[in-house]
Amino acid sequence: MSILTVEHISKNFGELQAVDNVSFEINQGDIVGFLGKNGAGKTTLMRIITAFLAPSSGRVFIDGDDITQHSLTIRQKIGYLPETPPLYNNMTVLQYVKFAAEIKGVSSKNQKVQIAKTLEECQLAHVKDKIISTLSKGYKQRVGIAQAIIHEPKLLILDEPTSGLDPIQVQQVLALINNQREQRTVLLSTHTLPEIEKIAQRILMIKSGQLIIDEPLDTLLKGKEQQDSQALPITLEQIFINHHQAPTSVPSSTLTQSVSHY
Amino acid sequence: MNKIIALTKKELHSYFSSPVAYIILIACLSLFNILFFMLIEQNREVSLRDIFQVMEFMFIFIIPLLTMKLFAEEKANGTMEFLLTAPLTPSMIVLGKYFSMLIFYSLLIGVTSVYYFIVDYYGEPDPYSILSGYVGIWLEGAFFIAIGLLTSSWTRNQIIAAMTSYLILFSLYFSISFTKYFTGFAESFFTQLSTRTHLENFAIGVITASDVIYYLAGIVLCLVLTCLSINHRLWQ
Repeated sequence: MSILTVEHISKNFGELQAVDNVSFEINQGDIVGFLGKNGAGKTTLMRIITAFLAPSSGRVFIDGDDITQHSLTIRQKIGYLPETPPLYNNMTVLQYVKFAAEIKGVSSKNQKVQIAKTLEECQLAHVKDKIISTLSKGYKQRVGIAQAIIHEPKLLILDEPTSGLDPIQVQQVLALINNQREQRTVLLSTHTLPEIEKIAQRILMIKSGQLIIDEPLDTLLKGKEQQDSQALPITLEQIFINHHQAPTSVPSSTLTQSVSHY
Repeated sequence: MNKIIALTKKELHSYFSSPVAYIILIACLSLFNILFFMLIEQNREVSLRDIFQVMEFMFIFIIPLLTMKLFAEEKANGTMEFLLTAPLTPSMIVLGKYFSMLIFYSLLIGVTSVYYFIVDYYGEPDPYSILSGYVGIWLEGAFFIAIGLLTSSWTRNQIIAAMTSYLILFSLYFSISFTKYFTGFAESFFTQLSTRTHLENFAIGVITASDVIYYLAGIVLCLVLTCLSINHRLWQ
């Protein structure tokens, strides 16, 4: 069953087309890797799916509800981690997660249990009384994920959750994401391609705002292997490079800058 | 309502976890105390009328310093995206922030109520005119906060937010000074626009419907415009 349906979404910023007629569906329980160069339109599309930005055209349905008509209900079903974890640095981890639980409508009856469960799941219980500004980047990223899952969303959207982390922190964050598999659907953008191969079932690739790949990971890798005359094992990284070798006419670095007013 | 309370608590925590809130509280109260004793010494009146007018003028400078960060900081830190993608309406976010600032301001005003007991010790002040003066200064502060909240929603730069607030507050405060250049409707308009006109009545113990409506309408207008400002940016 489809949890997320994106229908012909386009987004223009003036004359700049950040997202160009993108359509896809994501089924419940999938972990989907959303790939593309910096500025390809990943963040813009994620912001549209989370009802933060309005599309210029097209529609998005989450669990059957149109985001333009049921924006509040839909936000209850989504957990979102933006590229920069949205943290209040003067709060402790516990205060922040509690605040996230309160504004995301976790009932006061369940709050204590839910906070404890989330802190445990994100391996934050031992730092719960630490001020967020004193934490390492890896911990901050986990706090960001904790706020995204505190209200048990059906769909988890993570924008480059491994960006700027060291290899051990990357492993920890990806393990945490992988653990979400049984409980919720995950759409994550990342540049950590070897790692995403281990956890994703499906790959979406976007280039200059257009969706150029939408395939199950197995099919993508096997298909490429068969096409390759030398029969070398093909990796996601190689596929990514092959699709991005041709120069693009869109000034990619300006795409996300134009929506950075927040 | 629970979500608004959560937002209010978060904002209050943010004020009191930094030294800024304490510095502003101590600086304001010290200044008010000095001016209170100077005015009592000079006027020899058991009245707080003049101190209310001094407080009004001081709040033009102080309130933008308190409100400038309300939205500008969230935008600069990227936490605005967190709030706007959470299941919150713009009005919940605006009210949560507004109430927190109002609580802080009420605390500041509340501490100065000791002035009543001081003048009461030395004479027989009219408690009703002092009470109406406090209602007036509270309403005026509430209006200034709503203006500060609105200007903070327009920018991610706290300095620009404060400067814009100063511009609006000075225009409102000094608009009565322009009346000498106009006659008829324009004169009446600038008189009614000025905050000084409306606080004067409260300070002498007169509460009129038009003065209360002036402040309440100003507060509601600014809060609605703040909601629209957030909503507009959200759906750009």
